[in-house]
Amino acid sequence: MSGMVRHPRWAAIRGVASRDLLEFIRDRRTLFVTLLMPMAMYPILALASTLGLRTALADLDAKQAPQPIVVVLSGADAEAMAQRIMKVARGSGGSIPDWPAMVTVEPTRPWEAKHRLDTGNADAWIHLPQSAAETLDGQETLTLNVRLAKARVNDTRLRRHIRTLGEAVAEDARRRRVAAAGLPEGLLEPIIVRFADKEVAARTPALDGVFPSAVAAVLVLLALLTATGGFYPAIDAIAGEKERGTIETLLITPASTLDIVRGKFLAVFAVTLMSLAANALSVALTAAVLLRLLPDGMELGISRHAAVSCAATTLAVFVGLAAVAAAACLAVTSAARSTKEAQNALTPVILLTSGLAGSALVPGVGGPFVAMVPFAGQVSVAREALVGETDWPISLLLLLSLTASAIATWILLRAAAAALADEEVLFRGPDSAGSITARPAPRDVPTPMQGFAVGLAALALLWYSQGVAPADPTFAIPISQGALLATLAVMAVWQRVNRWRTFRIVWPGSVSRGGLMLVAAAFLGAGLAVLGATLLHAARGPELSGSARDMAEQIVKLLLARPWWVGWLLVVILPAICEELFFRGWMLSAFAGKRPSRGRAVSAVLVQAAAFAAFHLFPEKMPQTFVLGAVLGWMTLATGSLLPGIVAHAAHNAVPLVFLAVAGRERLEQASVAGVPVQTWVSALVAVVVGFAVIRAASTKRE
Amino acid sequence: MIEVVGLKKHFRAADGSLVRAVDGVSFSVAPGEIVGLLGANGAGKTTTMRLLATLLAPTAGTARIAGYDILTDPIGVRRHLGYLSATTGVPDRLTPREVLEFAGRLHGLDRAAIAERSASLLHTLGLESCASRPCGRLSSGQRQRVSLGRALVHDPPALILDEPTNALDVVGARDLLALLDTLRDAGRTILVSTHRLHEIERRCCRFVVIHAGRVVAQGTQEEFSAEPGGLERAFFAAVEGSAPT
Repeated sequence: MSGMVRHPRWAAIRGVASRDLLEFIRDRRTLFVTLLMPMAMYPILALASTLGLRTALADLDAKQAPQPIVVVLSGADAEAMAQRIMKVARGSGGSIPDWPAMVTVEPTRPWEAKHRLDTGNADAWIHLPQSAAETLDGQETLTLNVRLAKARVNDTRLRRHIRTLGEAVAEDARRRRVAAAGLPEGLLEPIIVRFADKEVAARTPALDGVFPSAVAAVLVLLALLTATGGFYPAIDAIAGEKERGTIETLLITPASTLDIVRGKFLAVFAVTLMSLAANALSVALTAAVLLRLLPDGMELGISRHAAVSCAATTLAVFVGLAAVAAAACLAVTSAARSTKEAQNALTPVILLTSGLAGSALVPGVGGPFVAMVPFAGQVSVAREALVGETDWPISLLLLLSLTASAIATWILLRAAAAALADEEVLFRGPDSAGSITARPAPRDVPTPMQGFAVGLAALALLWYSQGVAPADPTFAIPISQGALLATLAVMAVWQRVNRWRTFRIVWPGSVSRGGLMLVAAAFLGAGLAVLGATLLHAARGPELSGSARDMAEQIVKLLLARPWWVGWLLVVILPAICEELFFRGWMLSAFAGKRPSRGRAVSAVLVQAAAFAAFHLFPEKMPQTFVLGAVLGWMTLATGSLLPGIVAHAAHNAVPLVFLAVAGRERLEQASVAGVPVQTWVSALVAVVVGFAVIRAASTKRE
Repeated sequence: MIEVVGLKKHFRAADGSLVRAVDGVSFSVAPGEIVGLLGANGAGKTTTMRLLATLLAPTAGTARIAGYDILTDPIGVRRHLGYLSATTGVPDRLTPREVLEFAGRLHGLDRAAIAERSASLLHTLGLESCASRPCGRLSSGQRQRVSLGRALVHDPPALILDEPTNALDVVGARDLLALLDTLRDAGRTILVSTHRLHEIERRCCRFVVIHAGRVVAQGTQEEFSAEPGGLERAFFAAVEGSAPT
């Protein structure tokens, strides 16, 4: 058509992006926060910490450097042994690790030796047994009892020095014994290992301790400041536009809400990337200055090529972080009526970001699963690239992290579009209109914000309840499930949602079709439990984390010690009802809304599944729990009822109980070591496929 | 052409009560007509206009704008509608020229069309002298004219203007209303709401009076003006004579 562009959708997305970007870069506050603040902050932080760092490095060096030792000997052979040890000491040292800076061995009387030890004039006292020299030259073992000065009892460096000195004397004795027996010296040294290549640029011991911690701290700061880069632009882009009355001018154009959000995302993402670039540049420049300030002889221990490669990996993975941060900020601000409300809502997001980023620093946290967790994953992959402690290929971790970032961004943009189109948020007046005790207006289903709020509240309550709950699952399970139910009950009453539409406790379809769906759901749930155990065993072997193993043992004890119905009630029925009401009732309804589009339904299912996985607290089981949560979410949306989900969840949890009842504890433990038998997991796979097909067919007919 | 048929918008208030903001409104506006939508504050004028602009989804009923249904083809409606509300703002950090250019891009116009429409509108609206000044530094009248230009950039056949003269002084209001006359003469379909009855008394072909979400009176300009006391008296009679809700 004349006067029209060929691709109006892309023109609209680019139009929104360039319009917003132009507005951002004309705003001095945005420029200051995103670009100038990082450039100034790292040097200030570095200056403040340089003194501390240099002191810490010097202290570490001092603690690890060799020190002189004074050893006093008493006993009949003290004189001879002192001369012998000093002779050995003079001929040793140099390249031997842990060799003292200087060795002084003096013969003395026992009372004088004790006095010198008590007054600090000697580091160690050895009272030699009878015929010590004779024993040393004979064929027996000479035992030396060493007493350290009181102030040096916990000095590991002194202990290492004395052990090394003892080893040197023992080596001398061995050679004397071999010579005395007329044997060749080669008898003592059957093999010598020599490397053809010289070791390159090993980090000095002091820096070895500081480098990973310093890298980790900088990465968390980088993640936090990059995410903050999207904070003000996102508020300005949506909540600010609502306040200024300009959002309507976008919503009445032919561009869809999702395209408007995409355009705004591109603008906020661009600013977040600028913030990342400014931060990265500032980190690089600051690091260059800090390296020049390192004590003499101290090296970073990383080649220029490796440094460039690590920096490239870090930047690549942080591009994903910038995208997720920009999308998260937009999603949250879309649900806010004003800039003030947006600021309030974004504060927990920044805290959550810091928490997730910080969690990647916990020792042992890493690998492919963590790489896919937003914020924690990017920091973890960047740290692995720089510190190099993982067995997984960095390229694989980078790929997983970027893919997960893309999926998270996609979901968050859908959520932002849904929130932006919410009439209640757009047109029902400012957020300050109600009093502090005013309840939200009645709704059919909760808003996404209410979904998040309840999720966070329940997770916090669950966490606190762990502090008071006993280890015995007879009490621990009702307390954790009670935490969910209590949060849910308070929020459902307070927020006045339509309980039938939110929780969907209805029979799925006609009597016969509904019954068929429930049977299929039971097969699907049980099959997923077996497949999950099979895959977990394949991925990790029989080893579980300590806490997961304790939990499993406690539950087996519960099942064996209590009447059978207690186990079924606590392990099968209670979690199936409470968790389904919470995750597939409240959270799924909140994220999906009343009549979700396909994209929103997928996003809602994935988000509540992630919350479901997080709720179960055991990292190794999270992938399995995530899949279960996603399947149960799909089932609830497909059937329009919570009942199939409850049945499937109950069947899933019942599998170990049935195995225990049928096969007994010994065979269950054998299976946990040897893995699930082939015929069992094949049957489970068939059950899953058939269950899925039946529910799909029956729910399609229902529609 | 704007055709509104049984349009309803109900929602729950914060106290849980059901608000019938628009409750079965029907009327039409023909091409080349300016129709005045009259009503007191809270009568449902703005909600009706937001429904027509597809910013809100109706509870029941529908409407067609230039032949496009607001339920089945909201994108088509937005392509053929210019909308300006009392709360519409302009971005402070963009210039009037940029506002018009970006609006053109969002409506899918190509570069040449945008340049031509922007230049024409800046001239028509008297904004040429401040075309490169940030909107944050313009007077409220100039800002309102920028808003109107933004609503007209894609040359829509239908216009919905919610209290367009609110922020304008007498001169500004006169110029804007004169522009509406020109647009009407060019065959545009125009629905306008205002509190200033005298401004539109002689310009509108017809009037629709809305009260408590319902149409309580509608008729031609001649019919309303024929009442003793003119439009104002006819308006009060319609509003005060309607059944309380």
